[in-house]
Amino acid sequence: MSLEWETVIGLEVHAQLSTQSKIFCRCRARLETGHSVANEVANANTCPVCTGHPGTLPVLNEQVVAFAIKAGLALGCEIRKKSIFARKNYFYPDLPKGYQISQYDQPLCENGTLQIELASGEKKKINVQRIHLEEDAGKNVHMSGYSLVNLNRAGMPLVEIVSFPDMRTPEEAGAYLRALHAIVTYLDICDGNMQEGNFRCDANVSIRPMGSSTLGTRTEIKNVNSFRFVEKAIEYEVNRQIGVVQGGGKVIQETRLYDSAKNVTLSMRSKEDAHDYRYFPEPDLLPVSVDKAWIEKIKKTLPELPHEKRQRYISEYGLPALDALTLTASKPLAVFFEQSLATVKNPKLAAKTTANLITGEVTRLLHEENIEMSQSRLKPAHVADLVELLTQKVVSSTGAKQALLQAWKTGDSIQKIVEKEGLKQVSDLGALEPVLDEIIARHPAQVAEFKAGKEKVIGFLVGQAMKATGGKANPSLLQDLILKKIKS
Amino acid sequence: MVKVDESLTLRVANLARLELTPEEVQKFIPQLQQVLSYIEQLSEVNVSGVEPLTHPLTIETALRPDEVEVFAPDAQGHSKTLKDAPSVLNDGFKVPPII
Amino acid sequence: MPVFRTIRETHDAFDARKISPSELTKEYLDAIEKSDLNTFITVCKDRVMAQAQHADSIFLKHGKVPREQSPLFGIPLGIKDVLTLEGVRTTCASKILENYIPPYTATAVERLEKAGALSLGKLNMDEFAMGSSNENSAYGAVKHPTHYDRVPGGSSGASAAAVKAGLCVASLGTDTGGSVRLPASYCGLVGVKPTYGRISRYGLIAFASSLDQVGTLSNTVEDSALLLQTMSGHDPRDSTTAPAEKLNWAEQLRSLSKKDLNGLRIGVPKEYFGDGLQTEVASAVESTLKWCESKGAKRVEISLPHTRYSIATYYVVAVSEASSNLARFDGVRYGVRSKEAEEASDLATFYKKTRSLFGAEVKRRILLGTFALSSGYYEAYYLRACQVRRLIRKDFEDAFKKVDIIAAPVAPTTAFKRGEKVSDPLQMYLMDICTIPASLAGLPALSLPCGKDKEDLSIGLHLIGPHFGEGRLLETAHFIEKGRGHES
Repeated sequence: MSLEWETVIGLEVHAQLSTQSKIFCRCRARLETGHSVANEVANANTCPVCTGHPGTLPVLNEQVVAFAIKAGLALGCEIRKKSIFARKNYFYPDLPKGYQISQYDQPLCENGTLQIELASGEKKKINVQRIHLEEDAGKNVHMSGYSLVNLNRAGMPLVEIVSFPDMRTPEEAGAYLRALHAIVTYLDICDGNMQEGNFRCDANVSIRPMGSSTLGTRTEIKNVNSFRFVEKAIEYEVNRQIGVVQGGGKVIQETRLYDSAKNVTLSMRSKEDAHDYRYFPEPDLLPVSVDKAWIEKIKKTLPELPHEKRQRYISEYGLPALDALTLTASKPLAVFFEQSLATVKNPKLAAKTTANLITGEVTRLLHEENIEMSQSRLKPAHVADLVELLTQKVVSSTGAKQALLQAWKTGDSIQKIVEKEGLKQVSDLGALEPVLDEIIARHPAQVAEFKAGKEKVIGFLVGQAMKATGGKANPSLLQDLILKKIKS
Repeated sequence: MVKVDESLTLRVANLARLELTPEEVQKFIPQLQQVLSYIEQLSEVNVSGVEPLTHPLTIETALRPDEVEVFAPDAQGHSKTLKDAPSVLNDGFKVPPII
Repeated sequence: MPVFRTIRETHDAFDARKISPSELTKEYLDAIEKSDLNTFITVCKDRVMAQAQHADSIFLKHGKVPREQSPLFGIPLGIKDVLTLEGVRTTCASKILENYIPPYTATAVERLEKAGALSLGKLNMDEFAMGSSNENSAYGAVKHPTHYDRVPGGSSGASAAAVKAGLCVASLGTDTGGSVRLPASYCGLVGVKPTYGRISRYGLIAFASSLDQVGTLSNTVEDSALLLQTMSGHDPRDSTTAPAEKLNWAEQLRSLSKKDLNGLRIGVPKEYFGDGLQTEVASAVESTLKWCESKGAKRVEISLPHTRYSIATYYVVAVSEASSNLARFDGVRYGVRSKEAEEASDLATFYKKTRSLFGAEVKRRILLGTFALSSGYYEAYYLRACQVRRLIRKDFEDAFKKVDIIAAPVAPTTAFKRGEKVSDPLQMYLMDICTIPASLAGLPALSLPCGKDKEDLSIGLHLIGPHFGEGRLLETAHFIEKGRGHES
């Protein structure tokens, strides 16, 4: 990126709220267990209201408002006492009424902040302009010569969270999105599933000469469904815009799509002129009244937020910042970590070991099988038991890995697995001494090398000892003993 | 005072996805002009400090509990909202190509 | 054929075994078939006969009409074709809904049928309730019930004509700017529009959401009272309905024993008695007021200063809402999709070809509304009209501090000739000058026949009450009706 240019990024996130029913009708808002959006029969989850039948009317779902207030409180927003709905009018087949019920003037929440942390450790505050409620549209499937409209998604409850254009690099944008994603999942108001489109990001990107205070013309990159792709799309777009301007041209205000395969953004511009949405207050819905009592009630239900947890992990457990970040990226993982620590004898001491297990093996297994924490057979008790055994050096780290894998596969208790697989380390000094004496006696050359200063040779001797004990000895204990013997 | 001409009429018609024949355009222009000129008198009213009224009622927000009610499918398992639709294919509403 | 003018007459006839519900229904169906007034678009022959036969069996079981449990037992009604009836074609008198079968029944109709009423069929109207003469129907104009060359009024023209012509005992209409009161006045019936929010709009195919209300047309005030109270009350499917209230207007009227009006303060707004008023209309209203005074009422001269801006306000607000409400008629999910639409190769053409099925008046209002909401005009038109609307409502609020009820004409003239105003939209709009203000303010209002002109055409007295003041409104009308008769 050229140094003469400053990048300005604003992000709009649409998060589908995980309520039971849709925002304005009583159709299901969640999939039945075991179902996915892909194999739901088209239009099976609709009713006259969300398909815009004549004479039907919207009725606001109380929980949708509660969830939005929760988000507003978590982001430190002002919650409006009276907010109003508005109609956004345009024609599109997936928009049954010919208008979307959204909020325009007087949205529910305004003026919040989200603190982000970059890899360098730098912290930055991003200002959030507004959070408002709206209904989702359906989906169009494009075939050859025609399109099919599926309205299952029409009427799903959304919050739209709009940031101020405070971000200056793709990394900041990625950090903001990750932080926001963590918050909505922590609050249990959104499942954060980006593949299913339950957490969607639109990026508004513009450039301006460094030092300038006026905003350049921005383009909107729509519907990028992963954090990594958002960062890459922004990076591409910024370079594209710089290229346009340096080539003597002007950036056109337009909507663009990101092609992840080619890593480019493509113009979506159609021949029609910009939409005139003709916003006006929704006459079928009264203003939403939110009183102090309701806000207080919701405030009490706020869980410990990601950044609060991170702080606690660092100060209470002495965990390094990176570990804290990884553990708190997803609520299920953080909860699993805390539950594992809960039954351990000395949590403060065991925290790092527990963190290592979870950020290491457990995370690897989750990714490999592409499942959620809740879907695995692994329980906090498994990890807690393993941590105890590791701390007491009853198993080696290799043994622990093996045991974890078995627990993952079978769900059996750690005790049972360690017995069955014979994973207990040999740490009995009495048994080890003669073995070590023999090794030292058999390898005088290496011993001499070590004494001469080649310290690495100890690895060879430990390896030999491990072989002799069938891999069951505690390697660090072996190393200590061999050193002691050699030095004496 | 807005002047209603063909360009404005066609632009508004396009926004509303209405197709007007040339005869209709010619017929509507004077009629719309007449009505809009009549509406012009609203500009004489002193509305400073007056809040717009969008609901004749002053009552509290109607909120409903977060409960599911399934709009039952028909005996064959297809959604009743597809019944009598002009064109249905694979349980979807069929329309011309969108791109 | 025995034609019953009231619910009570009909129930008495059942009890006296003069006729059974199914026999009566058959008589009405025959009369409808013979009639050339063009009042019914759809007759529910099989459905209503099944309802009537069911009523027969209930009658046999009880031995008499169960008036307590079923206050509308066996009463054949006409339903304006803007209210949905599940499984029965509902057209709104438009070509675009020529084949539309709603998947649900309007709450108002559901409540009437639950109380025993029978739905004879769907009544003709001005297309999408836009009109004052019932000449804008795609299914042909409706004739005035006694003067064939005249219009019955609109948009609920057929609702009035059918009752007057003895084709049903009473009927449902809808009133947005006067569409129940005007036909009632022109045809010599009682027509009542309740307070906005009294009766659910769920199933009322929307024209102007903040103005539409279900209304009644009947021969007596008592019948309208009974119909209204049966339909009234909070509906969880309509966010704009007022909280439930136990209503017994009909019983109150029946037990009315007062001999005079006890100092009732009747406000007479000078703005309603201007130059355009037909002399006979003015004198009929005057003589009724004098009679009221003779019965102890107090006449108070009042001013509603913003009256002259009502039509302009209405024809901005109502058309704006309508332009949005009618966007859903696009041929995608229901209704007619013309052959040209089906063969369209792009979306814009698809929409336009379907929506070309709207009639001229509907197109005009959609254009006006789209214009009034569009960018650059929103403040000067829509927003300003909403501000003036508040001033109009305030006029009434101030007046009701000094008076209990307001009296005026319903229309400046009696029924005009068919074809007289149809090519001059503005002239047609000006017919609503007396009825619109009460609609804009959301007030309950009714039309009561109070005289005839020299052509023997009916004249209606307009009574307007404060918000939720139907009780006193109906009582006053009932008192006048009993004391003075109808001369209709």
